[in-house]
Amino acid sequence: MALALTACACLPASASAVSEQATLHASFSPDRLGASTTISFGFQIATTEGLAPPPLTSLDLRMPAGINFTTTTLGLAICQPAALLAKGLAGCSPNSRLGFGSAYVEVPFGTGSGDEIPEIQALMGPPHDGNMVVLFYANGKTPVYAQLVFSGEVLPAYGAFGSQLATAVPLIASVPGGPDVSILSVQSTIGPSRLTYYRHSHGRLVPFHPVGVSVPARCPRGGFPFSAQFVFQDGSSTSASSTVPCPPRRRRG
Amino acid sequence: MLSGVAVLLASVGASLGVGAALEVGVARAGEPTAHVSRTISLSETAHLHRTSGRGITIDQPLNEMGSASGTIRGAIYIHLKLPAVNRVTAEVNIYPSGGSITGYATARYSVDGGTASFSGTMSIARGTGSYDHASGSGLSFSGTIQRSNDAVSVHLSGRLSV
Repeated sequence: MALALTACACLPASASAVSEQATLHASFSPDRLGASTTISFGFQIATTEGLAPPPLTSLDLRMPAGINFTTTTLGLAICQPAALLAKGLAGCSPNSRLGFGSAYVEVPFGTGSGDEIPEIQALMGPPHDGNMVVLFYANGKTPVYAQLVFSGEVLPAYGAFGSQLATAVPLIASVPGGPDVSILSVQSTIGPSRLTYYRHSHGRLVPFHPVGVSVPARCPRGGFPFSAQFVFQDGSSTSASSTVPCPPRRRRG
Repeated sequence: MLSGVAVLLASVGASLGVGAALEVGVARAGEPTAHVSRTISLSETAHLHRTSGRGITIDQPLNEMGSASGTIRGAIYIHLKLPAVNRVTAEVNIYPSGGSITGYATARYSVDGGTASFSGTMSIARGTGSYDHASGSGLSFSGTIQRSNDAVSVHLSGRLSV
């Protein structure tokens, strides 16, 4: 339940001929003011020429004021990037998991419709300069075999936005020494949906569901705004925005 | 005579290791009154538990209560808000015997797994009873929040005039 808006790319003079367009969508589940929720967000990148977009190098996702990762019980453990790279998810505590998703990438020798990286995990990483860090673990098997860890830093944002997730996206070589793949779309969640944490109680491990981000108690006029800025390897950039409409008022009685 | 009392109190204060100063005011009946302010070195540690709220948000405070120990002993209440992802504000109320002290704090806030920590400064806004003239600014305000249950430990230190 979200409205998605698109924006055209801003191309520097020296950039390639393609012009990127991005769409962003976001939603809350459950979508209820003040409730612990799971945020789903996703983006798609395309070009007006129908070609694969240039490889993505950074993504800055801005979230509405009042949405705050640090107020949750998500990420009660820290996942170390080295352990994640070495052992995959088994290298980190389940209590470090924040969400999960998938992505579509386009390889230069692909079909043009993209290939899915079915597993993207979001985990709590070691803080940087006191700021919360989200690790993204992408486990690609085919056609690109790559296990990648990259990180986003949660920073303050201003105006209608309360925080931003500033993420540097590494280049993903299609084959060793080959051209880099293009990211066509990403879907991910941040929240307790389908996550199970564990705590010790009387010598036993007891499963529980973490508390997610709270939907703010008040909805701003026009809904909850999300925005994303995309920067590509060739220096071009584009942006997209999305709004989660205010949930319907609950009737009393 | 008044100044003599002040000198006496100041010398007593000095002998106790606290600074002292004289304030002269006017009581309701028009009689001059005197308040000798002391400067004490505050070092408080408190452990608190959540009384309401669930986590800190921008529009909903996390309300905590507990007991303070150190220079001053008494019940302590803290209302924490998070106006930005890396900044916390707090209203701190301490109820020692014979009065109360209220202060406001701002601090840098960070999360490291299951523990969040904050560090900043606090200013005394007002006091009542024995602490009617409490004042102070730039006091150190730091602590931790256990994110699993919102248990808070806080440490206050600095120079407090009472």
